[in-house]
Amino acid sequence: MRKVYLDHSATTPVDPRVVEAMLPYLTEKFGNASSVHLFGQEARAAVDRARRQVASLIGARANEIVFTSGGTESNNLAIRGICEIAEARGRHIITSVIEHPSVGGTIDFLEKRGWDVTRLPVYDDGVVRLEDVQAAIRSDTVLISVMMANNEIGTIQPIAEIGALVRAERERGRRYLWFHTDAVQAAGRLTINVETVGCDLLSLSAHKIYAPKGNGALFIRRGVRLLPQQVGGHQERERRAGTESVANIVAFGAAAELAQREMNKRNEHTRRLRDRFESVVTKRLDEIRFNGNREQRLPHLSNISFRFIEGEGLLIHLDMQGVAVSTGSACSSGTLEPSPVIRALGRDEELARGAIRFSFGKDNSAEDVDYVVEVLARAVESLRKLSPLHRRSVVAV
Amino acid sequence: MGSNALSYSETFKDHLANPRNVGELADANAVAEETNPVCGDRLRLSLRIRNGRIEAARFLAYGCPPTLACGSALAEMIEGMCIEDAVKLTRREIVKAVGGLSTRKQHAAALAIEVLRTGIENWRHGSMA
Repeated sequence: MRKVYLDHSATTPVDPRVVEAMLPYLTEKFGNASSVHLFGQEARAAVDRARRQVASLIGARANEIVFTSGGTESNNLAIRGICEIAEARGRHIITSVIEHPSVGGTIDFLEKRGWDVTRLPVYDDGVVRLEDVQAAIRSDTVLISVMMANNEIGTIQPIAEIGALVRAERERGRRYLWFHTDAVQAAGRLTINVETVGCDLLSLSAHKIYAPKGNGALFIRRGVRLLPQQVGGHQERERRAGTESVANIVAFGAAAELAQREMNKRNEHTRRLRDRFESVVTKRLDEIRFNGNREQRLPHLSNISFRFIEGEGLLIHLDMQGVAVSTGSACSSGTLEPSPVIRALGRDEELARGAIRFSFGKDNSAEDVDYVVEVLARAVESLRKLSPLHRRSVVAV
Repeated sequence: MGSNALSYSETFKDHLANPRNVGELADANAVAEETNPVCGDRLRLSLRIRNGRIEAARFLAYGCPPTLACGSALAEMIEGMCIEDAVKLTRREIVKAVGGLSTRKQHAAALAIEVLRTGIENWRHGSMA
């Protein structure tokens, strides 16, 4: 059976060139980057090089990068780190309703501990409005956290505009307002420059850009202080204690360099595949809805709601044919949680339940697209035949 | 995001890939539709009952994969069954027929039993849903 992986927003395969770069650090170059001897120095040099590579991907300085265990830790460190250190300055956070759970959950946690939270709407196109951000800013706001691009529908948020707004606030004498953006989905797909964006904190994850899982980074602008969430070691300039995962960090660095160098090529490739996919699906299937702004979105991602059917059934049908995709809805114990992101677009429950994310990668081919469309059309037709919401299939037996 | 197809048995996946007895009977004399009020999953069953026996059964389903598989298993099992046996069917038998379900997904089998009992009830009262 042919296998087609269309879930690159969940994770990506490790690039063989990345594996090659990291392997020596799992074997002969095994030193602890904190050790003084030669083995340690070798590891330290590798970590420093990777730090420069990751910094370069987002236009930052190397010493503004803190390595973490992944996007979730980066988001925790950014949000809790700032809020907990700035508590005396104010207890109000602005965020959006479509943040990744690692941001949403961290903010929910703070809310339970007495923080005030404003969650900005995204309207029917999945994009935060600058005027809403502006209107939400209060005298006690200390943090704005809005993602760079959404993980389910790929919509790109007006991050640079929010950054400019924060800068303008600072110029008016406001010292205690910080801006964080979760760029886990955007990195390697959008050209990012932290100067242009104007953010103070920016989260990254390695495994979304063809490096292994278990590594991420947080950009912390020079001069920004936060409360470390993991203590008991001097690593990462006292901002994140724990022995550096050298091989993983080397892999992240190599992947960041490749992502930067090949970004345009990868984007052109995935955009072509995605657009071909959407155009054929539109011709083959009726009663579908594309979710999110179709212009202002990541080039590799398509999120479609299929009316009359439920996403998980469709996902398993596709899986049985070797096609891997994602759905944002989850059903367990008889309770259903339709994707909060799709619901935030104002879609009804049926459309929210029938949403599927297709996310393309650099190694997908046009043949993959053709295969997926065939399998998808058959699966949708078969599920619709089953559906009491669809036109009835009356039989004489 | 997502779910894990690997957690389902081969029998379960076969019901999904090749659902049995799909549709609605043109000459049904009992029809029932039940919805899980919490998650919105829906099962519709149409039956032709003659001489105390279910001669034909067809189903339609909307919802998560367990609901689809349980609908299929139910419609297959009850065809040819006498009413006395059909009313005694349990959730456990449906679960077994789909090759097992995790505790969290057993509500789908409960919905199948519910729609069957409503169908038979409707037939007894001569009403069509």
